[in-house]
Amino acid sequence: MWSVLVSGLATGALFAATALVYNVMFSTSKVLSITTGHLAMLGGVFGAWFITGLGLPWIIGLVGAVVVGAAFGWLTDVLAIRRVLARSDEHLWLLSTLALATMVQQAVGLWWGTEPKPFPRLIPQDFGAGITDQKFWLPIAIAVGMALGLELFYRRTMYGKLFLAMSEDAFAARARGVPTDRIRAVSYVIAGALGALAGFAAGQLTFAYFALGLTLTLNGFIALAVGGLGSNVGALIGGAALGLLNAFSSYFVGGEFQQTISVGLLLLVLLLKPEGLLGSKNTRPV
Amino acid sequence: MNQAPKLLAGIVLGAALSLLGSAAVAQNIRIGWLSSLTGPLSSAALAENQGVQLAVEEINAAGGILGRQIELLTRDTAGDPTKAVNFAQQLAFSDKVDFVIGPVNSGEGLATTPVLAKAGIPTMVIGSIDQLTDAKKYPRAFRVINTNTQWIGSANDYALKTLKRTKVAVIGDTTGYGTSSAKTAQELLDKAGIKPVYNVLIDPNKTDLSDEMAKAKAAGADVVMPWSAATGLLGRLLNARGDMGWDVPVVGHPALMAAQIRALLNKPQYWENTFAAGYVSTTYDESGKLPARTQELVDKMRPRLGGKDIDVLFWWVAMGYDCVKIIEYAVKTAGSTDPAAVQKALENTPRYEGIYATYTWGPDQRNGFPDSNMAVNVANTFKDGSFRMAPR
Repeated sequence: MWSVLVSGLATGALFAATALVYNVMFSTSKVLSITTGHLAMLGGVFGAWFITGLGLPWIIGLVGAVVVGAAFGWLTDVLAIRRVLARSDEHLWLLSTLALATMVQQAVGLWWGTEPKPFPRLIPQDFGAGITDQKFWLPIAIAVGMALGLELFYRRTMYGKLFLAMSEDAFAARARGVPTDRIRAVSYVIAGALGALAGFAAGQLTFAYFALGLTLTLNGFIALAVGGLGSNVGALIGGAALGLLNAFSSYFVGGEFQQTISVGLLLLVLLLKPEGLLGSKNTRPV
Repeated sequence: MNQAPKLLAGIVLGAALSLLGSAAVAQNIRIGWLSSLTGPLSSAALAENQGVQLAVEEINAAGGILGRQIELLTRDTAGDPTKAVNFAQQLAFSDKVDFVIGPVNSGEGLATTPVLAKAGIPTMVIGSIDQLTDAKKYPRAFRVINTNTQWIGSANDYALKTLKRTKVAVIGDTTGYGTSSAKTAQELLDKAGIKPVYNVLIDPNKTDLSDEMAKAKAAGADVVMPWSAATGLLGRLLNARGDMGWDVPVVGHPALMAAQIRALLNKPQYWENTFAAGYVSTTYDESGKLPARTQELVDKMRPRLGGKDIDVLFWWVAMGYDCVKIIEYAVKTAGSTDPAAVQKALENTPRYEGIYATYTWGPDQRNGFPDSNMAVNVANTFKDGSFRMAPR
C-alpha cells in the first residue's frame, strides 16, 4: 500500500509541477498553453540524450535540458502567443499552442523514435530501494522546491512583482510603464526552464517518451483547476490529489476507469467550486 | 474528297495505340503495399518491407509471373487508419492494383478491409486481430500472419502444460488491443478450466507497476501473463518483478522479446525467466540451427541488412517475403490476375510452403497460419534476428 501512496505522490508531483508551469505563463499572458506538458517531455528526452546519447555528466545534461526547455518556452511566446495576443482577444492561442505542441511532438517522435527510452540513474542507488527510490522522491522534491522558489520569486524580486502586477491587470501595468511584452517573454523562458527541470527530475519515472506531453498538459490542467488557477500551493495540492486518486482508483477499481475518475474529479470541482480549492473568485468592483 | 484512306489510317493507328496501351497495362502486375514505414510500429513495417522488396526483385529478375513484371506501389500510412483508408481507396480505384499487401497494424486493417473487400481486390492480411478475416464478408482477404488467439493460445499452453502453472495473473493494458487480448486470454483460460487469480487492465503509461505486481503476488500467482504491445509497460512490469525479487515466470505477448525492452530494464538479468509467443521458423533448434528455408533467406537478406548480424525481428522479413511469393503462387495457379480466379486458387491451398509458415486456406478458412508453426521463445535470447526455443 505504501508503494501505491508513494508512486501516486510522485506522479502527482509531476502534475503539480506542470500546474506550476501553467501558472507562470498564465500570470503574464492569461494563456493556458497546450505546450505546457511538452516542456516536461523535452526535459526528459533531451536529458536522456545528453547523458546517455552524448555521454555527458548528468549535471551538464540537466543544464542542457533546462536550456532546451527555456528556448522552447521563448519560441512558444514568439510563435504562438505574441502575435495572437496582439491581434485578438479571442482564445485563438488555444489553436496556436495546440499547433506548436503537435509540431514539437511529431518532430521529437521522428528524431527520438516513438518507443519509450530509458532515462539514466542520477544518484547511485540500488534498484531494490522500494519506496525510497530516487525515481519517486526526485519529482516530489523538485515540485515542492519549485513552489517555494516561485513564492520567493513573486514576493522578493522585482520581476516577480512585475509578474503579479501583470497578473492583476496587464493594461494598468502597461499604463504605468511596465514593458509587458518583455515580461511575458521572460515568464515563458522561466516556464520553459521549470517545465524541463520537472521532466528531467521525473525522467526515471516516465522514461524518455515523445508522447508524454499531451498527458501532462491534460493532467496538469486538472491539477491546476482543482487547486485553483494562480495558486502555487493549490497546484501542489491539486497535483497530489490527482496523483493519489489515479493511483488508488487504479489499485482498487482498475486502470480502465482511471481516466474517467480523473476527468470526473475535474467536472466535480468545476461544478461545486469553479475557482478551485485555493483559487480566488474573480470579482471586479464597479 | 476521298476521306476513306485517312479515316482507315486513323482507325488503324487508334487501334494500334490502344492495343499498345492495353499491352503495357497488362504487362505489369500491380501490387499495392500499405506499409507504416514511419510512425508508431514502423520497426515491424520496415523489416517487412525488406522481405517484400527482395521477393519482388527476385521474381522480376527471374522474368516475372507468367511473363509479367511486378510493379510495387508502396504507400506509407504512418500507422494512421485515416491515411490507410485513403491510400486503400487510391490503390483500389485510382491505381487499380491487382493485389494489396497490408496494412501493417490491426487498427488500420479494420478501416481498410471493408474498402478493399468492396473493390474485390485480393488482399494479404498481416494484422493479427480476429475481425480482419471473414470468408463471407471479406472473401478475398487471406491472412498470412497468425491470429492474436494463436499468440495467446500458445503462451497459455506453455504456461499451463509445460511450466505446469495454474495460478495465472492476466495483465492487459487499457488500449483496445490490450483490452480485447486480455479478454481472449481469459476466455481461453476458462476453456482450460483455469480461473485467473488476478486480472487487471493497466494504463500503458502508468509510471510504476510495483503495486500491481505486489497484488498479483499476494493473490498467489505463479505465472504472470501480460497482453500488451506497449514496451514501456512491459519494461516496467519486468523492472517491478526484478526490484521486488520475485522469481515468477512471465509468459506473454511477443513484444516481451523486443530489443527496446533490453534498454528499459534496470538490470539485464530482469529479462530472465521471461517467455513469449514466437514462431518455429525463427527459432533455433537444440543444435543452434534455424530451419533450412529460414537460413537460406537469412543468407540472402544479410547483405541487404548491412552484412553483419541481423538486428531486426526476422519473422517480419520472412512474412513480407512470403506475401509476395504467395501472390506469385496464386497468379500461377489461377493462370491470371483475375480476382475471382485468384480467390479460387487461394481457397484451394492445402499446403503452401513459405519461409515464415506453411499455409493452408480453404473455402471457409481465411487464416492460413497453422497452430503447429507457433513456438514459445526465451525472451532474452535474440541473436541474428531469431530466438532460442523455451525449455520444454
